[in-house]
Amino acid sequence: MRASEPELPRPEGGGDNQYLDGLLARVARGDQAAFEAVYDNLAGPVYGLILRVVRDPAQSEEVSQEVLLEIWRTAARFDAAKGTAATWVMTIAHRRAVDRVRSAAAAAAREQRSAEIPVPHDEVAATVEATLDAERVRRCLEGLTEAQRESITLAYYGGYSYRQVSGRLNVALSTIKTRIRGGLIRMRDCLGVSW
Amino acid sequence: MALLRNDLHTLTGVYALDALDTAAEVARFERHMHRCQSCTSEVRGFRETATRLGMAAAQPPPPTLRAAVMADVARTRQLPAVDERARHARPAPRLTLLPRLATAGAALGVAAAIALAVVLVNTQNQLSQTQQQLGQARRHLIQAETQLAAITAVRTAADAILVTKATSIGGTVTVVKSASRHQLVVTASSLPPPGAGKVYQLWLIGAHGNKIRSEGLLATHHGHSGPVLISGVLSGDIFGITLEPSGGTVQPTVTPIVGIPA
Repeated sequence: MRASEPELPRPEGGGDNQYLDGLLARVARGDQAAFEAVYDNLAGPVYGLILRVVRDPAQSEEVSQEVLLEIWRTAARFDAAKGTAATWVMTIAHRRAVDRVRSAAAAAAREQRSAEIPVPHDEVAATVEATLDAERVRRCLEGLTEAQRESITLAYYGGYSYRQVSGRLNVALSTIKTRIRGGLIRMRDCLGVSW
Repeated sequence: MALLRNDLHTLTGVYALDALDTAAEVARFERHMHRCQSCTSEVRGFRETATRLGMAAAQPPPPTLRAAVMADVARTRQLPAVDERARHARPAPRLTLLPRLATAGAALGVAAAIALAVVLVNTQNQLSQTQQQLGQARRHLIQAETQLAAITAVRTAADAILVTKATSIGGTVTVVKSASRHQLVVTASSLPPPGAGKVYQLWLIGAHGNKIRSEGLLATHHGHSGPVLISGVLSGDIFGITLEPSGGTVQPTVTPIVGIPA
């Protein structure tokens, strides 16, 4: 699938980043066509991440709609000096998803469906088209210790706070903190994130 | 539960994954982060890392979503920038200029008002463009600094291994690799000139040979190159250099002049 797609000369993601930065600057000036292009590039990642955290498709669609509208409304607040456009968007998406599942009622409802928790890490790749990037993420996740992977997966994909993670795994809070940081350092280096 | 000050420093990962428990904890960490340069840059790197995790979870959105979002967009007014930098640098947002423009229009005549509007919109566009370029320039600077630091970190890593190999066409290539950092640093010396219309191109070839990733072109000056950092190296990868038509290619078209297990 991916083999015929040119990956040159852009370094992984590099060209996309500048392209998306430029689109967001146009969106900030009220350009709806540019917003449609942002949608086409990021609606899939936004929806997929929210679905991963929220789990309920109807609610996920609702949260995605809120997030994408927020991108439109606040595009002028995106600052390319502070991070990439994709990260700005995905950070908003993740926060909104987490807000949704942490509200008391939602948390209770989710607990009832929680038989499937914790989510196995290899589901990441199983549900995604096997792009080179997704494969790298999977391989890099495999390079973490089991404890690191478990904590990061529960916190990021599960939307649990680190105190909740600590409770679920019955491990000290400070240990969870260390595992998450150590795991992210390894992931960052393994993925070659250049920040 | 109160957090001790020395705990704050190591909360970068938890914060970047939105996994702090309360708004008070978030506010407290952010106050600390504003005074802590290393925390700020660590959080940035972690957020970019989390983004990759998020992108890997992509799913096709429901077909109804697009129309719903576009309908919202068509009737929703945008907010002006409010962050600190914008307060100093940004001109008044166009939204507030337009009513004034309308008043002026009554006095100046419609044609003059349109001309003025065009000038204002153009100025606004140029300003946003300049700001965008400035933002990118800053990011490139930060990235260059980060890259330099990373090169030093690879070279001084406890598990750094240095390999020097002669190429099949003369000159040598030196690789310093660190398995723990998943990175390597390449330098070349005494390479022959690539020849008219040719360039040296760098590659990372996956363990089974089926995943080949271009790592860009190698710029040489009198046969020598500065250090080039290659990231995301996994065990089993092979690093190679080929001579390709200028501009480079998507896949190597010739046998590498050198190959080094990464």
